[in-house]
Amino acid sequence: MIKMRDDGFRPKQVLIEREADLQKDATDLSLFVRTSDEEIKKWNRNKITEALLRETDISEDAAKIIAREVEKLIFSLNIENVTAPLIRELTNAKLIEYGLEHIRRQHTRLGVPLYDAREIIINHNKENANVPHGPEATNLTLAERIKKEFALIEVFSQDVADAHMRGDIHLHDLGMIDRPYCSGQNIEYVKKFGLNLPNAISIARPAKHPEVLIEQIIKFSAALQGTFAGAIGWDAFNIFLAPYLVGVDDTRMKQLAQILIYEFAQQAVARGGQSIFSDINLYWECPKHFEDVPAIGPGGKLTGNTYSDYMDEAHRFLQALFEVYYEGDALGRPFFFPKPNVHITEKFFTTEGHEDFLYLISKVASEKGNTYYVFDRGDTAKISECCRLAFQLRESDLEDAKQPWKMRYSAMQNVTVNLPRIAYEAKGDDTRLFEILRERVELVAKAHLQKKAFISKLLNLGKNGPLALLAMELDGEPYYRMRRATFLLGMLGLNEMVQAHTGEELHESNDAFFFGLKVISTMKKLADEMEEKYGIHMPLEQTPAESTAYRLAMLDMKHYPLRATAVVKGDKNRGEIYYTNSTYMNISVPISSIERVKKDGKFHPLIEAGALTHVWLGEHKPAPESIANFVEKTFKNTQNAQIAFSPEFTSCLDCGKVVRGLNENCIYCGSDNIEGITRVTGFFSKINSWNKGKIGELKDRYRDRAI
Amino acid sequence: MFNIKGFIKTSLVDWDGKITSVIFLPSCNFRCPFCHNKELVLNPNEFENISIEEIDSFLLENKDFVDGVVITGGEPTLHKNLPELCKHFKEMGLLVKVDTNGSNPEMLKHLIDQKLIDYVAMDIKAPLSNVKKYCNSTGLEEVNIENIKKSIDILRKSDIDFEFRTTVVPTLHTAEDIAEISRFVGRESKLILQNFTPRNTLNNEFTRIKPYEREELKRMAEIVKGYVKDIKVRG
Repeated sequence: MIKMRDDGFRPKQVLIEREADLQKDATDLSLFVRTSDEEIKKWNRNKITEALLRETDISEDAAKIIAREVEKLIFSLNIENVTAPLIRELTNAKLIEYGLEHIRRQHTRLGVPLYDAREIIINHNKENANVPHGPEATNLTLAERIKKEFALIEVFSQDVADAHMRGDIHLHDLGMIDRPYCSGQNIEYVKKFGLNLPNAISIARPAKHPEVLIEQIIKFSAALQGTFAGAIGWDAFNIFLAPYLVGVDDTRMKQLAQILIYEFAQQAVARGGQSIFSDINLYWECPKHFEDVPAIGPGGKLTGNTYSDYMDEAHRFLQALFEVYYEGDALGRPFFFPKPNVHITEKFFTTEGHEDFLYLISKVASEKGNTYYVFDRGDTAKISECCRLAFQLRESDLEDAKQPWKMRYSAMQNVTVNLPRIAYEAKGDDTRLFEILRERVELVAKAHLQKKAFISKLLNLGKNGPLALLAMELDGEPYYRMRRATFLLGMLGLNEMVQAHTGEELHESNDAFFFGLKVISTMKKLADEMEEKYGIHMPLEQTPAESTAYRLAMLDMKHYPLRATAVVKGDKNRGEIYYTNSTYMNISVPISSIERVKKDGKFHPLIEAGALTHVWLGEHKPAPESIANFVEKTFKNTQNAQIAFSPEFTSCLDCGKVVRGLNENCIYCGSDNIEGITRVTGFFSKINSWNKGKIGELKDRYRDRAI
Repeated sequence: MFNIKGFIKTSLVDWDGKITSVIFLPSCNFRCPFCHNKELVLNPNEFENISIEEIDSFLLENKDFVDGVVITGGEPTLHKNLPELCKHFKEMGLLVKVDTNGSNPEMLKHLIDQKLIDYVAMDIKAPLSNVKKYCNSTGLEEVNIENIKKSIDILRKSDIDFEFRTTVVPTLHTAEDIAEISRFVGRESKLILQNFTPRNTLNNEFTRIKPYEREELKRMAEIVKGYVKDIKVRG
């Protein structure tokens, strides 16, 4: 009798009887196998047995039986060539036949059908508007397809994976499962240690000249982009660059600003043909926590001064930088990256020259839209990155500020809760709605713990592991500081949830609006509970939802067609549908920007990891003074955390002219060979790269007069 | 009862430096072929009236943001109760701006004398020495140029802030026309050159006109810099 190690295995009498017949005729057959190693090998049944034993928990005897069964099946088909993937799937079919489901799971093959591969290689992937089309980009897409499947089978438990596939929650960047989500740091690390990366073929000492420092920062950003899924942000960039700028004249200053912007903006030659999603944080004043920090200057040496001594250089660099943003690229189009986040604080308004600076950045906001205004009220300090992700610096972080190269922050992962679905499931019952919300937040925490465990495993492989860069210890501790990692809890479609549950959208009544606030504050409370329970800091974030807004709307139309149809936004006939992003109000309704910044702002204090209100300018170009006025009032009169003004452009590829507004033809030469440009979620991109849901949203966007 | 046909709650483009709400009054005595508010000019009765209460409630709730109200149209000075409307907003503590084509100097003078307005934007459609061009730009058989000149004079002599605006259309205006307008309005005045957009124009033919490039407008502005206090290109 054969003994089976597998609990799930129920030996069948038939199988054992057949064993004897099979043994005799298998050896002298001339069947050839096209293997995955670009070789054609002679049929060898043992390969199946070996693979099963190497990859799964199956017992040797059972493996042999399965292998023989597969062999018999193949021979009965009378074919000359089989491929390795076909044998694997036939083996999987046998495993299922014998009730070995969990062995089959371990034995899964990941990959893509020929049709899909062809589609991917030839057609444009629209999940992320920041990915252009090209061989590098399709490599990325194909690799992500496999890693995504890997993540859902290997990294996450089945309940989490299923919840993602059903669309209860959305696990972001699954295709980049082997990297943390995003990273924010300080250029002091590069200034102090030079460019000394694991596996590098050459090592650079700390830079002596600003040109070299900027080059090193950009290369380091590119290296970081290879180990993070999303944004790479730099804190207080101009403050820390300043000691290198002593004695730099205006012409060279402008040149430096151009090097920085063009190098970041044109890095579409990097990983996956994707631009480095880069953010630079900028301050007009010297942030309090950096005032007395000893400055590091050329050669990575202490200059003997503190950062507050270099404000003149810090200011001149800022001015040069925004002049370059104002000019735009060679055609006068806005730079997509790096995104400039200007921090506005109480101290900003008491620092000399702030009026002129506010005018300058508002001129850029009006002309090109680049400027992000980040409001740090009271004593909070923040660093922002990604579309709207901001880290609040906590007490312990302010201690880091004394050694700024230590300031390295990261969000490990972002998971979004599909809010409208909760309303569909609760069927109007308040209690039930909050119960489901709790279950979903629990599930998100579980997903975070699983990703944390997986990344920890990779980091523990140290400098021989895939995340060697994050394991390097130039300052005595690993670059990736796990204890500082945050775990983001995102939300999508609050507006549609409230609409499905109460019958009114957020803007339609005070009751609806307050119900929305209650949902978000409950989420925050639940997230805090999870922090207690699991020891992970889980701040709320307004998910940028570039593709999620479309994906989850599509899934709900499928699973809850009646209830979803009533609230889903966009053009249903054309399939251009979406849920309203995060906590936003319906974007097609004429709600003035004043009301939007005020009402959106009521959510912002609950959404620690970053929130943003868009002011869609469309074709309008307000006077910079009016924008400055609006910004100052938003800072002083609301709780809004961040605003950006988004114009629209039509860029003609035939005559090279760029005009405001989205047009179907070039208004100068009539050509329809044009590109529309505006913000997709948090960043600028070309509209032809947008997915269907975002196209639907764009058509709906309400722009009133300048707003 | 005020005859209000349009209300934009927030605008950053109607008064440089200010955050405003914009109120649209119906009807116009001009028929500028490049006008973008053709429905309001040609079929004002197709618009619903907006109650002053609705407007007041927004303004009161958002006084922390809104600096003032812009009254535009159509042509606001055609409305006899315009002074009352201005007064209404002034009493709420708001600044008031009126957009006009300058065809009603008496009304303009009254508003200024009674301190009912803080800012005026007046359109100059063509060089004032050329009646033919003024007619072409306003879509009329005849235009009372004297009234326009009077309005310009009233503004220049007043102590309120104002701007003159010209929408520059390739088939209607040349660089020389801009120079002439600049010389006429003179050194006490601010002149704004607005670029024409070929969309939804009163005269449908105008949608086919290619606008001047922004650089060209800037060159026109550069030439006449010395004639006026300030010249800007908008849009």
